[in-house]
Amino acid sequence: MTRHAGIVTRFSALVAAIALGACGGSSTPAAVAPATAPARGGELVTALRTDPRSFNRLKAQDSTTDLLTILTQAKLVRINNTTQEVEPWLAESWTTSDDRRRVTLKLREHVAFSDGEPFTADDVLFTFEAVYDKRADTVLADSMQTAAGQRLTVTAPDAHTVEIAFATPFAPGVRLLDNLPILPRHKLGAALKDGSFARAWSVSTPPSDVVGLGPFVLTQYVPGQRLVFARNPHYWRKAADGTPLPYLDKLTVEIIPDQNAELLRLQAGQLDATVRPLGPEAYATLRRAGDTSRVKLLDLGLGLEADAFWINLKPGAFAGDPRAAWLQRDELRRAISMAVDRKAFADTVFLGAAEPVYGPFTPSNRKWYWEGTPKVPYDPAGAKAILATIGLVDRKGRGVLEDAKGTPVRFTLLTQKGRAPLERGATVIRDDLKKIGITVDLAMLDGNTVISTVMGSQKYDAVYFNPLWSDTDPALTQDVWLSAGTSHFWNLEQKTPATPWERQIDELMAKQVASPDEAERKRLFDEVQRVFAEHVPIVYFAVPHVYAAISARVANATPALGLYPILWAPDTLAVVH
Amino acid sequence: MTRYVLRRLAFAALLVVAVSSGSLILARLSPGDCVTRAGQSSGETERLRARYGLDKSIGAQYVDWLGRIALGDFGDSCLYDRPVRELVPERAANTAILAATALALATFVGIPLGVVSGSRRRGPLGAAIRSVSILFVSLPPILTSLFLVFICARTKWLPIAGMRSASVVRGDEFADLLRHLIVPASALALPLAAMFERLQSQAMSEAMAEPFVVATAARGVPRARIVWRDALRVSLGPVTSLYGLVVGTLLSGSFIVEVVTAWPGLGSLMLNALRGRDVYLVAACAGAGAFFLACGTLLSDLALGAVDPRAAQ
Repeated sequence: MTRHAGIVTRFSALVAAIALGACGGSSTPAAVAPATAPARGGELVTALRTDPRSFNRLKAQDSTTDLLTILTQAKLVRINNTTQEVEPWLAESWTTSDDRRRVTLKLREHVAFSDGEPFTADDVLFTFEAVYDKRADTVLADSMQTAAGQRLTVTAPDAHTVEIAFATPFAPGVRLLDNLPILPRHKLGAALKDGSFARAWSVSTPPSDVVGLGPFVLTQYVPGQRLVFARNPHYWRKAADGTPLPYLDKLTVEIIPDQNAELLRLQAGQLDATVRPLGPEAYATLRRAGDTSRVKLLDLGLGLEADAFWINLKPGAFAGDPRAAWLQRDELRRAISMAVDRKAFADTVFLGAAEPVYGPFTPSNRKWYWEGTPKVPYDPAGAKAILATIGLVDRKGRGVLEDAKGTPVRFTLLTQKGRAPLERGATVIRDDLKKIGITVDLAMLDGNTVISTVMGSQKYDAVYFNPLWSDTDPALTQDVWLSAGTSHFWNLEQKTPATPWERQIDELMAKQVASPDEAERKRLFDEVQRVFAEHVPIVYFAVPHVYAAISARVANATPALGLYPILWAPDTLAVVH
Repeated sequence: MTRYVLRRLAFAALLVVAVSSGSLILARLSPGDCVTRAGQSSGETERLRARYGLDKSIGAQYVDWLGRIALGDFGDSCLYDRPVRELVPERAANTAILAATALALATFVGIPLGVVSGSRRRGPLGAAIRSVSILFVSLPPILTSLFLVFICARTKWLPIAGMRSASVVRGDEFADLLRHLIVPASALALPLAAMFERLQSQAMSEAMAEPFVVATAARGVPRARIVWRDALRVSLGPVTSLYGLVVGTLLSGSFIVEVVTAWPGLGSLMLNALRGRDVYLVAACAGAGAFFLACGTLLSDLALGAVDPRAAQ
């Protein structure tokens, strides 16, 4: 499997794509040319909901740890959220073998960690050793595989060259490395040796011990209150005019558990940017406040993810249940897809700031979205006709569908309480399905319970939830597509494909991941989406617009869709002062 | 008295263990757990469940936990990957600062106002105090805190979140803390002060009708002295006996105020623990809350004994 769902999403929105060769990449993002020359210095204040679980990204994947890593560490390559393409980072260039099984990366020279120690290929080797070390027990071990159990083999011919070998041809190549911060052997090597790496860089570690290759260094952590970062004096990137980056002297992340309090502080000028994307409701709140001289609202366009509806397709899940004959039939899901008015859904659930969506990828995923995705019409009569083909009809004229044995068409829909779009969406689904005679009982549970039910006991009828894509490239979200995948939500971790169409997707994905030809990869994935649309294991209804908010004093931001619309590129952020 | 205090301390210890145990068992019984995540392999989930003792039966986990807390080990938080005993004390201290300030504020505002309104039931001042009190007593702390945060966000008079500023001038730490305390402490204190005022007003009114007060007035003792010395002392019983419960109310009220005002206390920690089904952290936070409640009740009883010797007996 590759990366877990829900870690990072990336999207190109504002800037034209940087063209990289299919078999290699090199450019000079070590130097960046802003539109206007931002002033160096100043402080930016932002906020997150919770404390970090660790200072070590290999040990925790919560969003605060992830952001801390973006600020203090660097990777070999980076996915540019505005272009959605891989760009050189600590590796200044790379070449890929013709069989897509080997990548040779050339590392930048004269790069140093924040404590002044030089960065070499040995640190890359160390990071991979740590990732795969059993005692280290890292959260990225599964992510750094091209398929189940297929780890990367990493060697270093010299101090500034790294060779990575994949067990099988792997078309996305270095894109996989965007998820991996390079850690310093000189600071953590001893911990890995003596087996204490699992506890290294916990949140009780003095901030000065946490060194990295990122634009900032952690200078203060006050639990429950804030994380303070200062400029890394050894940071390796420079602006096009030679100005050392980052522009900011200081960046503070306040811990504010409540979003209303966060928005109020933004309006009061006590915060400069929201870290996470804002939904339509938060956007409406800020717009009503109306002080555009102080807060800029940014529409990042349609999101990359739509909330998803699926029925439990695990074989035997309804054994002994009279509904077993029809609850897992393709026809039921097709009818549900036709019975929900997507336009009204977008207007009701997302306050009008959304568009209907018909497949797993939204048009915002420009490279992999399938233009041919069938636009399922809103057609309650058509839905009823489909259901009649599997014997589900209104036998007693009461407006309730029943099967041949008189069992009413009824199921329980789980969703997460406390998240207004999910609650409203589930309500719209229930109301629209009632119109065609399907009774839906809503069960609103907290998110943790929904996840535990879907991933753990797997005892449920249907779910309406929001799984996130970990990457826009489907080869890096194989855990969703493959029948054996850990994010193949409708029927997890199958030993052998449960259905012919899942086997077909498995085969298509195997070719898609291995193909050296990007056009062929696109064609194969379009075919995957076609099969997906035909059997609709997951039904999607609408995708909302995503917003970000920054104070008027923030300069040189490059907002883009993703987990951190503003802070994904922290080194080029500046403030007017 | 020493025996009494020791008995109460033993009761406090029992209360802490009982509340922690109940919380641990309830957190474990509730659906969901802290280790299952979307996209995680079942093998990884099982490994994490074993690490945090979730693979055992509730009984086995509970017995194991009891054995460990006897040695001072309250378990590891699966949310923060740290021992619970490192996480709770600092947050509990922050909550104690907030609760103590709110209690002091409520006491020094509510009781004098209650004395005034109770001793002048017919005047406009008493009526005004009563009206304001009824307004605040009906406001839950979440509304008060949101209102205060909104006002401060608009006016910028005070910081609206956090406990300390990021950059504080040396020597200004205490003043900075006080500035940050005003909004959350007021949000907690205002409804409480209103409640104290109502109680004290009623008690004062009754005390003013006591024969000894009438007799004292008949002897020509100045009214202010009768009100603020004689009648006040007699009328303090109901409010004082309520203090123990008030500490409990403060803790539950502080949970939401801490979230709204980003006060880094026990409330926000416990909220995260509950949401994340972090059973050991839930148990420790609940235990800390019970400890505060037991201390509050003890102090309340001691204070009641001081103002009314009959209660001490």
